Amino acid sequence: MRTTTKIATVALGSAALLPFLGAGIAQAADGNTTATLRPVALNGVKANGTAMVTVSGTRIDVTMAASGLLAGSPHAAHIHFGADARHECPVAGDDAKGDGTINTTDGGPAYGPIVVSLTKTGDTSPKSGLAVDRFDTAPGGKISYERGSINVSSDVAQAITEGKAVVVVHGVDHNDNGKYDGETKSDLDPSLPTEATDPAICGVLNAAPAGGMDTGAGGTSTPNNEGMLLLGGGLLIAAVGSGAFTARKARNRV
Amino acid sequence: MSHPTKFGDRRGSIAAAVTVVLLLVGGALVGKAYSGTQSPPQPPAAQSAPSSAASASSSPGTTLSPSSSATTSTPASTSEFGPIMPPSSPISLAIPSIGVNTKGIVDLKLDKNGKLEAPQDFQKAGWYANGPTPGEFGPAVIGAHVDSKSGPAVFYRLGSLKKGAQVSVVRKDGSTARFVIDRVARYPKNAFPTATVYGDTNGRAELRLITCGGAFDQSTGHYVDNIVAFAHLIR
Ligand SMILES: [Cu+2]
Repeated sequence: MRTTTKIATVALGSAALLPFLGAGIAQAADGNTTATLRPVALNGVKANGTAMVTVSGTRIDVTMAASGLLAGSPHAAHIHFGADARHECPVAGDDAKGDGTINTTDGGPAYGPIVVSLTKTGDTSPKSGLAVDRFDTAPGGKISYERGSINVSSDVAQAITEGKAVVVVHGVDHNDNGKYDGETKSDLDPSLPTEATDPAICGVLNAAPAGGMDTGAGGTSTPNNEGMLLLGGGLLIAAVGSGAFTARKARNRV
Repeated sequence: MSHPTKFGDRRGSIAAAVTVVLLLVGGALVGKAYSGTQSPPQPPAAQSAPSSAASASSSPGTTLSPSSSATTSTPASTSEFGPIMPPSSPISLAIPSIGVNTKGIVDLKLDKNGKLEAPQDFQKAGWYANGPTPGEFGPAVIGAHVDSKSGPAVFYRLGSLKKGAQVSVVRKDGSTARFVIDRVARYPKNAFPTATVYGDTNGRAELRLITCGGAFDQSTGHYVDNIVAFAHLIR
């Protein structure tokens, strides 16, 4: 009886520890991630950029640079993640309505919902996803963004370090008239034209390399060369010794 | 009576044969050590590097963050943005000043520990395919071996590369990305400045060329340092 109780206690104890172990593993996933932001399929924006997200526990620091965007207009920018999403940028096949462009609804299956709003000031939650007055307006078509200490959930932090989160910068001037307009309204906010919310550039956050590289086998390294020299020299000295022995033997015979 | 003499004779001829072998092998080794490859050129080890690089190099696990704990955004000037090219993978690399002209660049991945794998082929350079392509914003990374077990490899002379040297990368789309070297540094692998090498370049298309340097540790079979050349895209 007593033994059984003990075993049960131990088992319960380990079970109780499991969540903590799990938390420890999630914690250890801290890291540096980068995304190369490229034009979203079908939307025809000639822009590029990079984003870097550093994860420390449930805190993230973000930098982002992009150029070639519609100048002087707000560009909503987010980190997206959905457990059910493909964790990638949309492709032409995501154009569900077949209207020849990718809008936010089309992007959903690829990158999921907004999890962080990359606003310049104030709230960074999904609620600020379309806070157009707090996003970068890309003077000259360029964005240079930096924001530290954004708090996220542990799920989001983990998704970022595991390469499942996607950075998206929105705002596409489809008709090239220098502003967001047009009959089609945004499927996120009907008070905005779809041009204001269509995804422009996109990139999956991937772990940056950690540490250096092992790029050498030592064939030309100094220690190896010295070894060769030492061994060779040693053999030559031995040759002198055995040579002398041979000579002595030869002399003895005479 | 004749036995000892015979025995002595045999010992004498064995010793003579041994002498010849020793002379040949020993001489060959000494000759190879002298005439053969010299150890690869080394840039000075990175010391108290300038500002941000210094703090970043303090530990290999340093974060890539610009370490600002600001809660609001502090937009940097966009005037320092450099030229940029659309994405396209690299297919060849030329660095005329150190005689590098390598074709068939292989894709590199991270290993289980998050470390960048080296190319399998000692005579090929590799590119970190999950990062930017050479010419896009951010640090494109190309690594290659300094040597094989038997002699020099692609980046044997990387350590002698000078500031201002030209590097060109031909890309799949037929375009050539031209870079100029900013500096060449040597870092211990156990204190590799991850942030400085792989961190965001804030609106500049840059290139990192990486190989091994420093002493060769026979026990691990690896060099103890990395040599990194930093370059940026020019028009
Ligand atoms: Cu978004």
